[in-house]
Amino acid sequence: MEENKPFTANDSLAVIQQMINTARREQQDSGKGWIIWGWLLFTASISSFINMYTGTFSQYFFWNLFGLLTLAMLVYSVAIALLGKSKERIKTYTGELYRRLNIGFFITLMLIIVSINTGVTPTKGFALLMALYGFWALIYGATSNFRPSIYGSYFTWACALAAMFVHDFRWTMLLHGIAVLGGYIIPGHTANYQYRKTRKTNV
Amino acid sequence: MFKELDPILHSQLRLAVMSLLISVREAEFNFIREKTNATAGNLSVQLNKLKDVGYIDITKQFKDNYPLTTCRISPKGIDAFDQYVKDLQQYLDRRTL
Repeated sequence: MEENKPFTANDSLAVIQQMINTARREQQDSGKGWIIWGWLLFTASISSFINMYTGTFSQYFFWNLFGLLTLAMLVYSVAIALLGKSKERIKTYTGELYRRLNIGFFITLMLIIVSINTGVTPTKGFALLMALYGFWALIYGATSNFRPSIYGSYFTWACALAAMFVHDFRWTMLLHGIAVLGGYIIPGHTANYQYRKTRKTNV
Repeated sequence: MFKELDPILHSQLRLAVMSLLISVREAEFNFIREKTNATAGNLSVQLNKLKDVGYIDITKQFKDNYPLTTCRISPKGIDAFDQYVKDLQQYLDRRTL
């Protein structure tokens, strides 16, 4: 951009619009987080569902695997943050909000997991987990004005409600997998498709 | 013609910087340079002008032994930008009458 060039009111508007669009594009979420966590949760749920029919492994084998993987990813994220290797070139207000809410989400998630291990039945505990996923999807959808996540949150809550009345853990696992599919995976892939489309049109 | 418009903001590069910063909490120097297609020298001069009038805050630190400059818009800058947009709107409305 050149300085001291004749600059009209229309030029001003064009610059403002162009730069705000640039910043907006930069903030657009690729949906990768939803896709990764969605597929991991879906795989753990459906594998547990099938495993409960075949009896190949212990009931919580896939959830223990999922827990170990989550722990490894958590250690990796903390290490990246502490070593300052983040490649983030801008900080946004919504990004800051998500970071803080993420902490709240994981604390609540852990509390529900602890409750499952200290007396709350797994069928009810997983129903509460689904309700929490729905809440997070709603926050994301509302703050980023992304409708698939808003609809996903309603869908996840519907699955959570249904799971409250289920007594067989196998069906809880199936509902959990379906909830994640509608609440995380489909909106995640939709966000990723839109993200790639935007990048392609702006090359 | 543009007397009523803030002369600090009524410049292509400075306005671009302010428009970029209004949408984010803070941005690195290289990011701003890349998005505005400005040269490092020119951008540096314009950023200092914005800083001198209190429209932006500039933080200089080191990351992996490299200097890292980050900029963020100040409350005064937000007010000025808001006023500039209103003035611009008024000017355009008057012109279309």
